Amino acid sequence: MSYLSRIRIRWFLSALGFSGAVLAPAWVPLVAMVLLALRYSAWEILGIGLLVDLLWLPAGVSFSHLPLFTLIALILVWGLEPLRSEFLT
Amino acid sequence: MMILSPRNEKKRTRRLLIIATGVVVLALAFDWVSGGTLRGLVRFMSTVAWSSSSRMLSSVAWSGLFSNVRALRAENEALKQEISRLQVQTASYESLAEENTALREIVHLAEGSAGLTAPIVSSTRSSPYGTFMVGAGSAEGVVEGNIVVVGERGSGIVIGEVDDVHEHVSLVTEVFAPGTSIEGSLRGIPTTFEGQGGGNARTKISQELEVEVGDTVTSPAFGGRLVGVVGAIASDPTNAYQSVYIRTPVNLSELRFVYVIP
Repeated sequence: MSYLSRIRIRWFLSALGFSGAVLAPAWVPLVAMVLLALRYSAWEILGIGLLVDLLWLPAGVSFSHLPLFTLIALILVWGLEPLRSEFLT
Repeated sequence: MMILSPRNEKKRTRRLLIIATGVVVLALAFDWVSGGTLRGLVRFMSTVAWSSSSRMLSSVAWSGLFSNVRALRAENEALKQEISRLQVQTASYESLAEENTALREIVHLAEGSAGLTAPIVSSTRSSPYGTFMVGAGSAEGVVEGNIVVVGERGSGIVIGEVDDVHEHVSLVTEVFAPGTSIEGSLRGIPTTFEGQGGGNARTKISQELEVEVGDTVTSPAFGGRLVGVVGAIASDPTNAYQSVYIRTPVNLSELRFVYVIP
């Protein structure tokens, strides 16, 4: 896959994630985050997770109000990093 | 464009990820310390994006393109709204009839309560936490804990509670948000309902208790107001309990306005 098409896919998935956070059901940004994480070491994953939590997370600090999407984003970004380093060029 | 060697590219990517992680942590910390300043800003911007996209979609729909589809969709939507309105009305009347004497005082209280009509300014399906936004905030007199109602003022169905208030936008948590549990009353029996999201909840009650589809559910947490109706019952004779599924008799995604009462 050429550098340009890789960038285009990354932009498309990022745009899908960011716009999905505002307009689409919650699984749309989640799928975008997972797809991005499988192929790229993308900072956009963290941005999408943060955006979902800032938009929709109720106020207050409790276990039912954990910023789940930010945590998922951190896990996807840092948890999959060794795999990406190993298998992706 | 400068081409980096794979090793340098990896280093650069890793550095970018570290910076992004730091920014995310700082943003969350800043938002927490500042009492939700960042949340307020992001939510305000999202309501602008939401209304722009809604306007754009409706202008495309009314431009003459897809006219047959548009007509069918409009008719479909009108019928759905009519069904929702009738369901709310029926459930409200049933509830009032069932608990006539006991609720008289509460109904009187609710009818007399002041409040305001607020538009829904976000998607009601996007939130993974069972929340949505209304276009009224502290400037309009909304405070945390206000009840959000649809249907007739005061005697309508409670769909949520104001959770986070900004200047002109408030975040509402649905009554049956995922992971929440709410005390309610079904045929006069106190029960705890587990929220499933999307206006649905579930509870388990004894097989001996007779429950029917359409029975109303009220909650003392919302002044004895109606919160839902029984949508389905799963009964297994080998089990001591039956599962009762509750739903809000309105389609949240069809709503345009809600009523916020203190």
